[in-house]
Amino acid sequence: MNYDAGKNISGWRKVNFKKNHHFLARTFLFFFPLVFLVILGGMHPANGENLTASDILNKVDDLYRGTSSHGMMTMEVVTAHWKRTLSLEFWSKGKDKSLIHIIAPLKEKGTATLRAGNEIWNYLPKVNRVIKLPSSMMSASWMGSHFTNDDLVKESRFTDDYKCQITFQGPRKGENIIELSCIPQLDAPVVWGKVEVVVRRSDYLPIVMHYYDEKLRPARDMTFSQFKKMSGRTLPAVLTLVPIDKPQEKTVVVYDKITFDLSLNDDVFSIRNLQR
Amino acid sequence: MALLRISWRNLWRNRRRTVITMAAVALNAMILITTYALMDGMLRQTVLNATQLVTGEAQIHAMGYLSDRSIYKTLENPQAILSTLRENSIEAAPRAYGYGLVSRGTKSAGALFWGIDPGREKATFDLPAHLAEGSFLGPAPHKGIVLGKKLARSLNARLGAEIVLLVQAADGSLGNELFTVTGILKSVGEGIDRNAAIIHLDDFRQLFAMSTGIHEIAVNTRGRVPLEMLTAILPRLVPGSEVKTWRQLLPALSDMLQLSGASMSLFGAIFFAAAGLGVMNTMLMTTYERSHEFGLLKALGTSPWRIVRDVAFEAWLMAAVSTVFAVVLGVAASYALQEYGLDTSALAGETTIAGVVFDPVWRAALSIEAVVAPVVIMWIVCVLAALYPAAMSARLDPVKSMHRV
Repeated sequence: MNYDAGKNISGWRKVNFKKNHHFLARTFLFFFPLVFLVILGGMHPANGENLTASDILNKVDDLYRGTSSHGMMTMEVVTAHWKRTLSLEFWSKGKDKSLIHIIAPLKEKGTATLRAGNEIWNYLPKVNRVIKLPSSMMSASWMGSHFTNDDLVKESRFTDDYKCQITFQGPRKGENIIELSCIPQLDAPVVWGKVEVVVRRSDYLPIVMHYYDEKLRPARDMTFSQFKKMSGRTLPAVLTLVPIDKPQEKTVVVYDKITFDLSLNDDVFSIRNLQR
Repeated sequence: MALLRISWRNLWRNRRRTVITMAAVALNAMILITTYALMDGMLRQTVLNATQLVTGEAQIHAMGYLSDRSIYKTLENPQAILSTLRENSIEAAPRAYGYGLVSRGTKSAGALFWGIDPGREKATFDLPAHLAEGSFLGPAPHKGIVLGKKLARSLNARLGAEIVLLVQAADGSLGNELFTVTGILKSVGEGIDRNAAIIHLDDFRQLFAMSTGIHEIAVNTRGRVPLEMLTAILPRLVPGSEVKTWRQLLPALSDMLQLSGASMSLFGAIFFAAAGLGVMNTMLMTTYERSHEFGLLKALGTSPWRIVRDVAFEAWLMAAVSTVFAVVLGVAASYALQEYGLDTSALAGETTIAGVVFDPVWRAALSIEAVVAPVVIMWIVCVLAALYPAAMSARLDPVKSMHRV
């Protein structure tokens, strides 16, 4: 059934319309789906894959992003020396504004982190002061978790900083997955040497991200789980970050509630409002 | 005694030549005595500056603390350790360390917080007096903070400024507190200048939610207990801990001192060689002039060894007389340099090498070794230099040498 479309069309011009309308109708009905398939086929890679590597990563990037978002989350941090749980309320707008308030525990209640562009400001209710995080502290831990301040500030798209390609697809551990390997672009301001992203083949939701340091040694794993529908989107509600050198430690973030695309005033993300 | 009398008379046969040679030897020895005293003074001062300011002669840490400086690697019951040390009359000060953030207005910077006991720190170390501005922490915790020079500058903090401290406490919570700047340190070294934020140990405990334990005990006996003894005693007194001397804690400085010792030896060798060649030249001349006399002595049955002995003794006598002058002049010069010192501030200002501040007034340190060693070495060099002319004289053929004029 490998017909050449052009040849068939020129053949169709030669037929006598009046005499052979029956034939014409038959030919049209036969070829229309074929042409349609050929057009669609041009959009799809020959191997039958549906999205390119960067399409998938942009989807992952946009997972928790909208024009704006608001929600509650619980962050549990376990280290070799202590374990604690924080309740957080967060707001975000666009890709460069976000605000996180600590609701519990009591000792830190009211502590807030504002991110505006590349800057991070912390409000400390105990001393009633706002302090700006120096750029030298960007790779330091945020609120004692295994996330860094840099994780919080990251606004550029993954595909701007990394060159990605699909390195595996098919079943793995009982699930149909796509594995993407990403290495930083030459001048990208990133700390990792390589990032591997594993997504579900069915809906491109992430399952796990493996981070490697600049010497390509495994550094940390971020696992996504408990996929559920929240505010009209299907999302992994739980993120677990485990540093490879301290496997007994972890930070678990649970999205308890999230709503997208609500109208938020820019004032919400001002230093004045930080001290609210 | 006869030997001494003969040699003395021989020395003054050519008065001018002997005086010139002796002057050269004396000058060499004097320069060496003074230079050694100056070098010794500098090395001693360097070690004192390096150890007495903050580092101490030795430090005690929990096993493995130095390699990762985790806030959890503490020495428990510091009071017990400190009183054990005091019973052995070893002065020491406890310190706790933790990383965090200091902020003032829109400026903020990372800092290394030191929790110290101000009383013990003042009694044991010079750092509390090494202030550019303000005063050190008082005996009671009062939320005062002393900042390193560059840290204060980067925060634009003056005395009395309010500083926000933000740290990750030992229990995982967020420690934050307002402190007031009471003092700003003079330059100590890059690390301390840029990072140090010194607070009272009790304030530290509250800020870092750390109720017990410390990270470091710095020992400083101000040279009273020799380093070898400290390394022998301390591990026995504080078992299960890691004891490091300043040589291990400041390897760059230790290497530098060793290197300057080696370069001094090289410098000395050149001076000794110059003096030795001068003596050899003089002795060659005098023995040549006296070849007739040596030939006669040999003809009369004097053994060659006796001739060698006589010539060598003459060389030693010359060296001995020279070094008497050298010692008098050298000791006088060194003493003056020890008392008044060389003011190098016009040349270099306040300099730091390998993180150690140098006093702009360079003082000599006079010691018995610094005098005796150059003198004895000078004697040996002179005697060795005389051996060649002595051997020449001893091997003279009596007949041939007496034939000559």
